[in-house]
Amino acid sequence: MLLFVLPALLLYTGCIREESDTDDTPLNNFESLWRIIDTQYCFHDYKTQEGCLPWNDVYAKYRPRIDDKMTTAQLFEVLCDMLSELRDGHVNLYSAADVGRYWSWHEDYPSNFNDSIHRLYLGTDYKIAAGIYYKILDDNIGYIYYESFNSSIGDGNLDEVMYYLRLCNGLIVDVRNNSGGTLTYAERLAERGTNEKILLGYIAHKTGTGHNDFSAPETEYLEPSHGVRWQKKAVVLTNRSCYSATNTFIRDMKECPLVTIMGDRTGGGSGMPFSSELPNGWAVRFSACPMYDAEMNQIEFGIEPDISVSLTQEDILRNKDTMIEAARDFLKR
Amino acid sequence: MMNNMPASPFYRIRSSVFSLLRKGRKISLLGILLFPVSGQAQEEESPLPENRYTTHATLFGIGHSNLYETYLSPSAYTGPQLSVLHETLRKTHWLDGRITTQSVLDGFFSYASNKAGNSNEMGGKINYAIGWHYNWLIAGKLRLMAGGDVHGGLGAIYNTRNSNNPVQAKAEADIGASLIAIYPFYIKKVPFTVRYQIGVPLIGAMFSPHYGQSYYEMSLGNYDHNICFTYPGNAPSMRHFLTLDFPIAGFTFRAGYFCDIRQSRVNGLRSHIWNHSFMLGYVKHFSFVKRKEPQHHSFIL
Repeated sequence: MLLFVLPALLLYTGCIREESDTDDTPLNNFESLWRIIDTQYCFHDYKTQEGCLPWNDVYAKYRPRIDDKMTTAQLFEVLCDMLSELRDGHVNLYSAADVGRYWSWHEDYPSNFNDSIHRLYLGTDYKIAAGIYYKILDDNIGYIYYESFNSSIGDGNLDEVMYYLRLCNGLIVDVRNNSGGTLTYAERLAERGTNEKILLGYIAHKTGTGHNDFSAPETEYLEPSHGVRWQKKAVVLTNRSCYSATNTFIRDMKECPLVTIMGDRTGGGSGMPFSSELPNGWAVRFSACPMYDAEMNQIEFGIEPDISVSLTQEDILRNKDTMIEAARDFLKR
Repeated sequence: MMNNMPASPFYRIRSSVFSLLRKGRKISLLGILLFPVSGQAQEEESPLPENRYTTHATLFGIGHSNLYETYLSPSAYTGPQLSVLHETLRKTHWLDGRITTQSVLDGFFSYASNKAGNSNEMGGKINYAIGWHYNWLIAGKLRLMAGGDVHGGLGAIYNTRNSNNPVQAKAEADIGASLIAIYPFYIKKVPFTVRYQIGVPLIGAMFSPHYGQSYYEMSLGNYDHNICFTYPGNAPSMRHFLTLDFPIAGFTFRAGYFCDIRQSRVNGLRSHIWNHSFMLGYVKHFSFVKRKEPQHHSFIL
C-alpha cells in the first residue's frame, strides 16, 4: 500500500503544471500576452527611457478595452495596439487572419531604394552565389547585393565571390532592404572584412522575470575567415529597412578597418526574438536577448552610417542610384 | 558454455520433464506449453540453475504524452506517443545471491499539439538506467526488491513554429531509489506474474538554458548555470511500471502500463514530460549452462 500512497502524495505535491488559466477567453489571452511581455521582453527600461509607456501603465490603459463579448478581430486589434506601445519591429502577433506588426522603423522614412534603378545597375550579366548577387561595375568596382540573410551563404560561395572580385579597386556591399535573417550568414560575410580578431559588441540574456534581471554582458568577437578576405576599401550601403541580423551585420562591419558605412540609418532591432503563444493559439514574437555595440551602446533603434547619403529625386529621374554612385566616388578616391 | 536461446523452450521442457519425473508427477500438455512461466512462478519449488540466470524483456508501447516547456511555450502540448523498452534482469552472486542487476533502455517519440490545435511539438528521448536491488521473499511468494539505480537521458522537444527558441534539449543524469514487488499466482492452473516497480530520482544534474538564454548565445561558449543540480525539490520525477507476464503457446508475454513522469523547475524554466503508455512485448529467460548437471539450490528470482 505504501508503494502506491507515497508516490501519489509526492506526485500531487510536486506536480509542475501550467501556471495560469489556459481557457481561451479574451481576458485570459490579454493577461497571458501582457504577462509574456512583462516577464520575457528585454527592453522595458530602455524603451521607457526612450519615451515608451511603462509596461504597467500599458496594462492599465488596455485592460478596460477587454470585454468577454468582444469578437476575435476586436481582440486582435486591441492586442496589436498594446504591443505597438513597445515600438519594436521584433514584436509581432500572429493569428490565422493577420500579422500584428510595428513597421514604423522603415515605413515612416524614405525607402532610399528604387527597385527599377537597382535592376538597371545589376543588368542581366550578374552572377549568383547562393543568396548573393554580384558583378563588376564598369569602373572596376565590385558590387555585392545581399537581399536577405534568410538566404544561406557558405564559405565556398564567399571564396568564389571574393576571388572573382579580387582585381577590383573597391567593393560595395549593398544590404539595403535586407530585413535580417540568420546571424550566422551575416557573420560569415563580415569575417571577410578583417585580418584580425576584433571586438564587435556584447550580448546578454534575461535571467528572471524582473525587468532588470539580466546576465552579465558577454563579449562577441569577429574571427577572420580562413578563406579569401577582402583587403581593399569597401563600402556597405544601408537604408531604414536594414533590420535585425542586418543591423547586427552593420554593427560588425563598422568595426572592420577598411569598411565605411554609407546611406541611411539602419532600422534597428537588436533584440534576438523569441516566440511564445496565447491560450487561443496565436503566436507572439518579442525581443528576448539584447545585443550591444562595442561601446555597450544600445542599437535597438538603429545605427548611424559613417556617411549619410540618400536617393535624390534628380538622380531617380536620371535612373541613377545616388547611393551606389556616392560609394563608387568614395572608393575611387 | 553459454546458452542464450530465447525462452529456451526445448531446454526447459527437457529439464522440466526430468524434474517432474523425479518427483513422480504427471505431465500435462498444458503444463508443457506453459512451462516457461510456470518455471518462473514455481521457482522456489523447482529451482533453476543460478548461473547468471537472466531475463530479457522487450516491450513496445503506445500512449499519451503531455509536454510542457516554458522555454518554448507557456502552454502544455498533448498528443500520442510511441515507446520502446528493453529490460535485462540478472541475478548476481553478491550477498549470497540476493542482489539483482536491472538495466533498462527505453525511448519515446511523441507528436503533440497545443490546445488550439494550431501548433505542434515533437518530443523524443532515450533513457538508460542500471540498478541493483536487494531481494526479500515474503510469505513464500511475494518478492520485494529495493535498491538504487544510475540513470542517464538524452532527448529534445522541438516546437515547429518558434523562432530563436525552437528547441529544448534534454540531458540529465541522476541516482535514484527503486522498489519492485513481484507476485506470481495461478488462475485455473495457468501461471501469471504481476510486477510493480517505482523509481524516484534523488540526486543528479541536468542541462538547461538559463531563463532567456538562446542556443545561439550558448554556441558562442557563454555558460550560465547550464548544468543544474537536481533533487526532488526542483525535479520531482518518478517512474511507475506495472506488468503482467502470461504464457501463450510456450512463450512468455508481458503486458503493462508504463508511467514516466519527468519534471523540473530550474533556471526559472518549468518543464514536464508526462508519458503514459500501454506496453506489450515478450520475455526471454536464459542462463549459462554447464555440460554436467549443475548444483541446484533455491533461485532467487
